[in-house]
Amino acid sequence: MLIAVIPAYNEATRIASVVRAVQKYVDRVIVVDDGSGDETGKQAKEAGAFVVRHMSNGGAGAATMTGIDAARLMGADGIITIDADEQHAPEDIPALLAPIKDNKADIVFANRFGTRNKIPFIRRVFNGIGNIVSFLATGLWVSDSQCGFKAFGSRALRDVNLRMSGFEFCTEIVREAAQHRWRISEIPTKVIYSEYTLAKGQSFANGVRTAFKILLRSFLR
Amino acid sequence: MHLTPYQIIVPLLSILAMVYAWNLVMRQKKTIWEACLWTLFWGGIALVALFPGTLGYLSAATGIKSQENAVIFTGLGILFFLVFYIIIRIEEMEQRQTRMIRALALREAGLEKDDKAKKE
Repeated sequence: MLIAVIPAYNEATRIASVVRAVQKYVDRVIVVDDGSGDETGKQAKEAGAFVVRHMSNGGAGAATMTGIDAARLMGADGIITIDADEQHAPEDIPALLAPIKDNKADIVFANRFGTRNKIPFIRRVFNGIGNIVSFLATGLWVSDSQCGFKAFGSRALRDVNLRMSGFEFCTEIVREAAQHRWRISEIPTKVIYSEYTLAKGQSFANGVRTAFKILLRSFLR
Repeated sequence: MHLTPYQIIVPLLSILAMVYAWNLVMRQKKTIWEACLWTLFWGGIALVALFPGTLGYLSAATGIKSQENAVIFTGLGILFFLVFYIIIRIEEMEQRQTRMIRALALREAGLEKDDKAKKE
């Protein structure tokens, strides 16, 4: 069974359309409502998703891990993680799953920079810094380490254990890949940056704090 | 070569830290990369302890020449380490709280992990 995991925080205006679009490609959709103050959970449920709700905001990493746990308990063989803000194209899901189905990868990272996408310069810079920090912390280079769009095969789904709650979880997934020696594949995907998506992104200060936490934890772990 | 007690104890501690790091790798709790970084760090400390002359380059770069300055510098290093340690402890408390939020969310959704998983 293939399950999509969508961590969501205050995404009431977008979540229903994301759930409906993703449903075409997977068997079930789990939305983890990360303590939203709006109707994210209600909208997701009405769109047909199974909703797990955090009583308070735990962060993107915590929400993703809750979704992964829920998928395991539901008996998933593989999962897709995708952002709730409509920045990813669900049509890319089959391409993302292909290396897992062909038994060539345990985890597949989407690569927003591998194809012609209209990405603001500052985003490219932030993602480049994120990649470098991830490399320094894990020794593994991933072209788009900070992207929330990923596919986990059965082995990666069984092994993964995220402890970081915030946006650091993206780097922690790369660390998990290095730790468990998963086979990695990267697939170019579309990305749609709107004003809404850009407003939801991380601030520079938050990015610095995240980088600091990652490097510190990788050293003192 | 005459060795002071400091020059014997610090390299021994460094070796202990390195062995510990690689032991964590064997137990799959640390990655090889992290152990390499750890080894470099402690290797550097052992090197400075055994051959204090290597600090000459650092002295030229930082301007720290006297022993008094070195003591202040070391004190700052220790303070930094303490701050890092406190940050890690706070993070661990945050993680504990997050684990509770996550477990509660799964329970409320009618999905419960087994006892072994709960303890983790």
